[in-house]
Amino acid sequence: MTTSIASTASARPSRGRRAADLLARDLPDAILMVLDGVGEVAVVIAREYLVRTMVLLRDHPDTLYKVPLLVTAVDWPDREPEAPRFDVVYQLRSLHHNDDCRLIVQVTEAAPELPSIERVFAGMDWHERETFDLFGIEFVDHHDLQRILLPDDWDGHPLRKDYASFGEPVAFTHNLEWALPAAERPRDMPGSTR
Amino acid sequence: MAVLPPPGGPSLPTRDPVSDAFDRGRTMLGVDSANDAIDIVQLDDETMELNMGPQHPSTHGVLRLVLELDGEVVRACRPDIGYLHTGFEKSFEGHTWQQCIPFTDRMDYLAPLFNNLGFSLAAERLLAIEVPARAQYLRVIMCELTRIASHFLWFGTSALDMGATTPFIYAWREREKLLDINELVSGVRMHTSFIRVGGLLADVPDEFYALVNEVVRTFPRFIDEYELLITKNPIWVQRTRGLGVITPDDAMAYGVTGPTLRGSGVPYDLRKACPYSSYDHFEFDVPIGSHGDAYDRYLVRMHETRESLRIIEQAMANLPGGPVNTSDRKVALPPRNEINTSMESLIRHFKLVTEGFHVPRGQVYQAIESPRGELGFYVVSDGGNRPYRCKVRAPSFSNLSALPHMVHDEMISDVVAVIGSIDLVLGDVDR
Repeated sequence: MTTSIASTASARPSRGRRAADLLARDLPDAILMVLDGVGEVAVVIAREYLVRTMVLLRDHPDTLYKVPLLVTAVDWPDREPEAPRFDVVYQLRSLHHNDDCRLIVQVTEAAPELPSIERVFAGMDWHERETFDLFGIEFVDHHDLQRILLPDDWDGHPLRKDYASFGEPVAFTHNLEWALPAAERPRDMPGSTR
Repeated sequence: MAVLPPPGGPSLPTRDPVSDAFDRGRTMLGVDSANDAIDIVQLDDETMELNMGPQHPSTHGVLRLVLELDGEVVRACRPDIGYLHTGFEKSFEGHTWQQCIPFTDRMDYLAPLFNNLGFSLAAERLLAIEVPARAQYLRVIMCELTRIASHFLWFGTSALDMGATTPFIYAWREREKLLDINELVSGVRMHTSFIRVGGLLADVPDEFYALVNEVVRTFPRFIDEYELLITKNPIWVQRTRGLGVITPDDAMAYGVTGPTLRGSGVPYDLRKACPYSSYDHFEFDVPIGSHGDAYDRYLVRMHETRESLRIIEQAMANLPGGPVNTSDRKVALPPRNEINTSMESLIRHFKLVTEGFHVPRGQVYQAIESPRGELGFYVVSDGGNRPYRCKVRAPSFSNLSALPHMVHDEMISDVVAVIGSIDLVLGDVDR
């Protein structure tokens, strides 16, 4: 098996083109959009096809994306309601074809959930927990979806854009409401977790 | 690619530590196994939960493991991380691109230059700028020196974990020389921020060449010395052979990368597979193991330090002249003499320092081979002067997630040895 793994660089097309081509051929319904830029192709796929797409990309001899690199999210709060607020980003690597690909699933603020793929890639377990922890995105069917980096009793999800990063609220006599627990604080105040 | 010869002795099958220990005990007691009356008494299935950490010094930082023990055997392991979480990814979003570099230093604090490099390469790809050849070579030299320093530190501390104090002192002695080079080029020993978007902090001083050539000349002997101490040391071999085995398929499924993946026999190294920063100009081998155990990971790392020396030697011999920063004025500061004479340059200088440069819209995933594995930066820009989102794909994070799999059914005293063998940096795990 080891001999078939690419060991040297060769001139190659945009990274991820391989995945986009295979999906266009075998699972065209899954593709919502193909983004191309900076030498990398990202495929936006439909949420209901996520698990099937992952299994296909992992097992098909043309792709063999067997290494889960990361799961994360990007928050675009101004995009709603025209488009869903969160991009959930998956990056996979194929050692056999020396390629990596990016898949994006968009989820809305009202229902930030999508199926877990920890059963497809064991390594996605912690990455999904991290994304849940920092973005509040729910991975349905994950066996142990709990915070991983932050303490269990933490309020809010810090990597959301509306989570203030600077200036912890300090309560003085003129703004005693700032000493309230995070959930009861006024919405527009610094440090509000919304 | 060089495949390390399998060291002497047949490879051990997966062990059953309970009956192993039982057999050893019987041999020690001189029990005649043919007609003895001792039988393994099957106790009930009750297991004990044990907390290891978060302050255990052998865990290289603040890692907590919740172990489920059946006697001395680990039946389940649940790592609890986050004690060093600093929210760097959030901080990135509030700082200009160049200001993010010092944050990257502090993630994998044993190999800070790799973090600088990964972030800089990602930003440079979005900006579509090319850094001069001299800067690329110096980046390679500094990164490989860091790789050696990191592997030496790993060598010393993981031997210390298993009770050998001498290697630690030796490794520290040599690592000191590498930190001196860091200090010489950047003024700082660890968090150098030497590699910046667009090039380097500055060109290297004249004393640099002699120091690095001295490293290339003398270090092979030191590595021989380390190997003499450890490689065939029966205690070390017994302790690590067949321990913490992970198969190539499992390693891939967990996203394990770096020496831990190569120890399992998968010859994947990003310096070869997707060369960046002129790595394709140098000749070097990628050592791989054959058993995927802790001992093979040790061999791979020791061999990698020799390969790093080869790379440094070639880079020093062919080091091109010229500038070490891009001339693209989108990113580069105007030269000093221009600032004195041109108002426009002065304004540009002021704007670059205060507001920073703007990076075109787009997203990019840039991965490099850090001493611990694939270090990736997934960077999204909305066209502003700050990263819109920067996700760090930390190699230690994925490697640690495979730990429960690796210590399953091992003895509790071996857990520390397995942790050592995957070379964790908790700053890298928690970010």
